[in-house]
Amino acid sequence: MSAAGNTAASAATQSKYGSKLNMDSVLIAVMLILLYSVQLFLVYSVFSATKPVLSEYSGLVPVYLLFVGLMFTIETIGCLRVRQSIKQHMHEFRYYD
Amino acid sequence: MAESTSNTSHAGGLVKTLRPYHVWALGVGIVLVGEYMGWNFTIAKGGVLGSLFAMLVAGTMYTVISLCASELGSATKLAGGPYDWARLFVGPGAAAIVGLAVYMEFIALEAADAIVVAFIASEIFPQLQVFPVTLFVIALLTFINYRGVVGALTLNFALTMLAFFAIITFFFATALGAVETHPGYLLEGAMPNGLIGLFAALQFGPWFFLGIEGAAMCAEECKHPSRAVPLGQQAGMITLLVGAAMTLFLCTTLIPTDALGVSVYPLFEAAQNSGVFIFVALLGVGTLLTCIASANGCVCDASRSWFALSRDEYVSPWFSAVHPKYSTPYKAVIFTAPIAVAFAFSGFLDQVITFSIVSGLLCYVLIPFSLIRFRKLFPESTSKIRPFAGPLQPYIAYFAIGIAILIMSTLFWGYRYNLLFGLLFYTIAYFYFSSRRKHTSGNEPLWSELGWPEPEKTPDQKLKEVSCIECSR
Repeated sequence: MSAAGNTAASAATQSKYGSKLNMDSVLIAVMLILLYSVQLFLVYSVFSATKPVLSEYSGLVPVYLLFVGLMFTIETIGCLRVRQSIKQHMHEFRYYD
Repeated sequence: MAESTSNTSHAGGLVKTLRPYHVWALGVGIVLVGEYMGWNFTIAKGGVLGSLFAMLVAGTMYTVISLCASELGSATKLAGGPYDWARLFVGPGAAAIVGLAVYMEFIALEAADAIVVAFIASEIFPQLQVFPVTLFVIALLTFINYRGVVGALTLNFALTMLAFFAIITFFFATALGAVETHPGYLLEGAMPNGLIGLFAALQFGPWFFLGIEGAAMCAEECKHPSRAVPLGQQAGMITLLVGAAMTLFLCTTLIPTDALGVSVYPLFEAAQNSGVFIFVALLGVGTLLTCIASANGCVCDASRSWFALSRDEYVSPWFSAVHPKYSTPYKAVIFTAPIAVAFAFSGFLDQVITFSIVSGLLCYVLIPFSLIRFRKLFPESTSKIRPFAGPLQPYIAYFAIGIAILIMSTLFWGYRYNLLFGLLFYTIAYFYFSSRRKHTSGNEPLWSELGWPEPEKTPDQKLKEVSCIECSR
């Protein structure tokens, strides 16, 4: 294959890998958005309906919020690490061939 | 074991063809049934707030367990999953109990799922009897897994997707006002047993996610485990967190708390209470499909755990044979059937399921512990050793161990004999296998077989070696 052919093939591979990585990134982003929205909707619905009970136990709300925060933080950083790992190794292990 | 870049098969070993959606299908397929039924016992113990608390605490623990499983699975790429991680990084006694715990956890779940499928079938077609249908379901799923992992997990993907689609559709229709809800139910059953109920509810929190760590057990059969395992496992974990929140909202706003706490099929009952035929049909079909998917995934995971135990001669090496045509551990797959049938018709299914939860919780202590040991033995993150490195480790691993022990301790309320029996069983297994392995050769992990260098020795280990030499003198 000529040098021009090699360059074209390499550019096509780069483009293919870029678009496949974007697809993985979009999947991760959509899942995270769904997670935040549904969990927050649930917590808001339960808290607003059980306000009289929660006001009796004032220390409970921060505990719930702590676990929501922990779950979101750990899952978000974990997903970003997954994307970073795929980006780092995609050519080495030929993920998308 | 270096990651292949082009081969789709492995001569004489398991076939390497699975992709991230198969990993997702295996993990979510096993667990989604817990969102269709079983989780609602959290409501009976702690009301709506207790159930929400249990879901958030267990969800946080499983998020960490998932990250640990992603890192360990993509690094080791072995079929035994938690068993292999404990074998490599903890020791033979811990490996044996994790291998047995995983096997018991999934076999018990398979038996329970097959019985539920048979019950639903006999309710739809009254001429059918539960016993033969249970046998038929177990036999059919064993055959599907015998024929090949790709077919089995592609089927799981289709079944799980449909079951999850049913929950999503029902949730969005309800949240957008197409179904009339009763927010008053939330206040009526907010916290019937006070603060003690919140903690008591924790013991059923794992139902929302029990078994998600099994997704990483197909690492040895993945085409690119360093991508498929973390991506499939994390997508699966998020799916379950989303599904758990949707289920909790739907059921608590459509079913009075008293009835919800004792419901057999809570999501189906919520659909019935909505009065919309399409949702009744969707959730009815979803309940059936999710039980089949769970049983199917359990056959896959239980057989891999038995296969790995057999490969290392913890049990008879006869089970470690790989089918020459289908590349499946077919003897280990076939062996799941008689054990599942024995569990299903033991007459103690509720006890068996509680034993399954104790087994799972034991794994949730040992999986993060394996990761902590892995990080100590191999601190460097090279693409050969650790292609995926999870965040905030080892702090979140310690945190997950703490939550797992906390949840295990809550089993003391109501299930103390199951808990004590489970712990006694695994303690005996630990000492039995530890002493047995002391007298056999080749116990040290062969890091070179994984394509890894020898781990660096810690100052403690060097000190021990010196004192051993001095003792021998």
